[in-house]
Amino acid sequence: MLNKNIIENVLYAALSTGGDFAEIFVEDKYITNMKMVGGLLENSISGRDYGVGIRIFNGFNSVYAYTNDSSEENLMKVAKEAALAINLEKKDIILNLMKSDIKNNNKVIVLPKSVEKSKKIEIMKRGHFGAKNYDESISQVTVSYLDEEQNVLIANSEGLLAEDQRVRTRLAIQSVATKRGEMQIGYSAPGASMGFEFYDNINAEEHGKEASRIAKTMINADLCPSGKMPVVIHNGFGGVLFHEACGHGLEATSVAKETSVFSNKLNKKVASPVVTAIDDGTIPNEWGTTNIDDEGIPTKKNLLIENGILKGYLVDKLNGRRMNYEPTGSSRRQSYKLPPTSRMNNTYIAEGKSTFEEIVSNTESGLFAKKLGGGSVNPATGDFNFAVMEGYLIENGKITKPVRGATLIGNGSEVLEKIDMVGNNLKLSQGMCGSVSGLVPVNVGQPTIRVKSLTVGGRKGDE
Amino acid sequence: MDYKNTVEKIFESGKDSLDDMEVFIEQEKEIEIDVFEGEIDKYNISESGGLSFRGVSNGKIGYSYTEKIDESSVNLIIKDAVENGKYIDSLDKEEIFSGSKEYEELNLYNEELSKTPLDKKMEFVKSLEKEALSLDNRVVSIDGCSYGEVESYRILQNTKGINLEEKKNTAYCYLSVVVKENEDIKTGSSYIVSNDFSKFDYKSLAKEAVEEGLSMLGAKSIKSGNYPIIFENHIFANILETFIPIFLAENVQKGLSLLKSKIDNEIAAPIFTLIDNPFMEDGVGSRAFDDEGMATKYKKIIDEGILKTYFHNWKTANKDGISSTGNGYRGSYKSPLSIAPTNLYVENGDSSFEDLIKSTDHGLLIIDVQGLHSGANPVSGDYSLSAYGYEIENGNIKRPVNQITIAGNFYDTLKDIEKIGNDLKFALPGMGGQIGSPSIKIKKLSVSGE
Repeated sequence: MLNKNIIENVLYAALSTGGDFAEIFVEDKYITNMKMVGGLLENSISGRDYGVGIRIFNGFNSVYAYTNDSSEENLMKVAKEAALAINLEKKDIILNLMKSDIKNNNKVIVLPKSVEKSKKIEIMKRGHFGAKNYDESISQVTVSYLDEEQNVLIANSEGLLAEDQRVRTRLAIQSVATKRGEMQIGYSAPGASMGFEFYDNINAEEHGKEASRIAKTMINADLCPSGKMPVVIHNGFGGVLFHEACGHGLEATSVAKETSVFSNKLNKKVASPVVTAIDDGTIPNEWGTTNIDDEGIPTKKNLLIENGILKGYLVDKLNGRRMNYEPTGSSRRQSYKLPPTSRMNNTYIAEGKSTFEEIVSNTESGLFAKKLGGGSVNPATGDFNFAVMEGYLIENGKITKPVRGATLIGNGSEVLEKIDMVGNNLKLSQGMCGSVSGLVPVNVGQPTIRVKSLTVGGRKGDE
Repeated sequence: MDYKNTVEKIFESGKDSLDDMEVFIEQEKEIEIDVFEGEIDKYNISESGGLSFRGVSNGKIGYSYTEKIDESSVNLIIKDAVENGKYIDSLDKEEIFSGSKEYEELNLYNEELSKTPLDKKMEFVKSLEKEALSLDNRVVSIDGCSYGEVESYRILQNTKGINLEEKKNTAYCYLSVVVKENEDIKTGSSYIVSNDFSKFDYKSLAKEAVEEGLSMLGAKSIKSGNYPIIFENHIFANILETFIPIFLAENVQKGLSLLKSKIDNEIAAPIFTLIDNPFMEDGVGSRAFDDEGMATKYKKIIDEGILKTYFHNWKTANKDGISSTGNGYRGSYKSPLSIAPTNLYVENGDSSFEDLIKSTDHGLLIIDVQGLHSGANPVSGDYSLSAYGYEIENGNIKRPVNQITIAGNFYDTLKDIEKIGNDLKFALPGMGGQIGSPSIKIKKLSVSGE
């Protein structure tokens, strides 16, 4: 993607004012995005993202610069400009770039670029009809299609030279149900680090039906009651609980500067003993999997919490210096426009022993959060919130009527202690996680779990 | 880079396969400075841009874009646009626009800002961190202290005669502090957005963030129930921003907004007026032409509670048989044309912030909400948000409150507005325009706590 000589010259230029580490990141990405509303293709856009980022370290501090112009002349200019921020004696660094061998976790069979647009539209139509024909209350269906091929080259002054190709495919279906002048939505959005062969594995029509099933259930649902109660959170996207409540607090971005509630807690108890949590960037073809991270380090399976004891953090190179901790292959970024930092890949709570039925029947009364929407957290305080997309009441150990409009709030370290049952039905789901280095694809996941007591914010009683 | 030449080449190469063509170019120059423990912890600089292309063939419009702006991309973007247009089967007509008669002359670029030396800006961020740490010994760390500057340049050129360009700049500063007393940890934040560097005052920013953090120490939940709610100005602006989709003609026409057939109907309390003003001085959303070349307009969206118009671009206006409101918007050169406000704000009311508090026997003042991207549904209008603030008793602020959610429906909330403050403030700009509001008192909302 970039000539080795140019890379070396740029790295030397970046180090010319005394920086102790320099890195170059080249990205060439081809994207296709399409949107269908009411079964008609509304727009289709494709294009090429292309740029180069140059990063320099000086101890714990960093300088970052990027540009779209990859001519040697411009890259040298940008590297020199960035280096101006450091004003030290030039260090004695000799470059010896060695190409890394990379294990391929994501085998791709059909590159999206090679597939006719009409075939992609066909998939969208299937999703649309699955959703639209599900029920007469479904008033609108929006289907989005995305595929991308991202080629990256990463080289640094420690001699690393790595190249990787990331191919991702995703289909998102949103159904709207209308009744009595009210609207509710349902959503299903499967994705993978795969090419077009992804659609041999999933059924677009079924995902359309699923989106509509949720919308229909919710338009007929009563308002959710509020207050503190036991909450059973179902497998799959329910894992966003752990992602928000704990995952972000384990990222070096906040741990290194000791602004996380989990700073200095290694080998201490931070969760109930039934909780074991893992971040694994290597699961083949999963949405959050990459072969190497955006610093060129192979991704790993990182144990975060084992039986309630904090075992590890997610660490990038720069924060690793501050923490005196080896990078964990977790450094990620949305694009060359943002410097990378520690982020999650595929994060999940490991399977426990309870069956789904046991968890529900042992809950006298509470909320069953079957599908969660998104959420957020303040890593300094650990306070989190997330939305329940599909919820039901649990009464006398049985799931009864659907309820809508619920939000769950709590505090990360507190909720981890309150998880008292973990099921044996682990499932992963896809999401986009936004943080300092932009939006990155991640999987969240968990088996069905029960939280002894959680604040549920509903609207029942505001009439 | 020589864009002029490239644009000519594109129009020349595309004329055989396409009828009308448009090129939209965005260029940005950015600086970001983060300080941690007295040092420039992060220093980012960039110069980047992209070119977006729209082409019409057989009455259908296709899009493509590239960030590699050189001759090698010319043929690919034309080929992609033709291919992308081929399958469009939406019945709504989209056209390349031939231009407005007149455009407002705006000066959106502040020379002083770009002339202010970098050293001075770096010193400013360092002073901000130092000041925040020195104000109180319960300030244990700073989890965000940054200054940024964006200079942007927008070019729109098409084969129907439009040739427009606009340059602007803006700067922002953001501070977030962590305070701690015993085991109780809270955060507080402050920000400023402006292209006038003389308005950047590190002392007031530090004071605001630290005071907010300290005032939240000892916060506890509150008994669940219905309470009168005062939303602090920028928080109501955040909520309003989340529900902007209901005002976009695109969503109204597709059945994704409950404001369908509500023009000239009362949809909010009669004291509520909502204005979109593209000509505001020092406004992040200010612009003389929208992203398809239509001249922008000053307009009231809601006038004393009555819905006057939706936001339109050419396509949605054409469908409704009216003229565009000049709100055509591209999230970036990578996004298709959509709709967004410019500088959208709730007009100041006649109550002071103190009046709002004094008029409340028992209620809550909300100074932050979380989870707007997930806990609010811009289709149904439902929201249920994690929040914190203070309990008000007998017209006085009594104690900090957290671990609560407030829930309601935005359509109802607009009607339940009881009083409007006179302290208009703009929220940190997000995608599409800049949103502002004074503090606003709502009759009652459902609060879930203990």
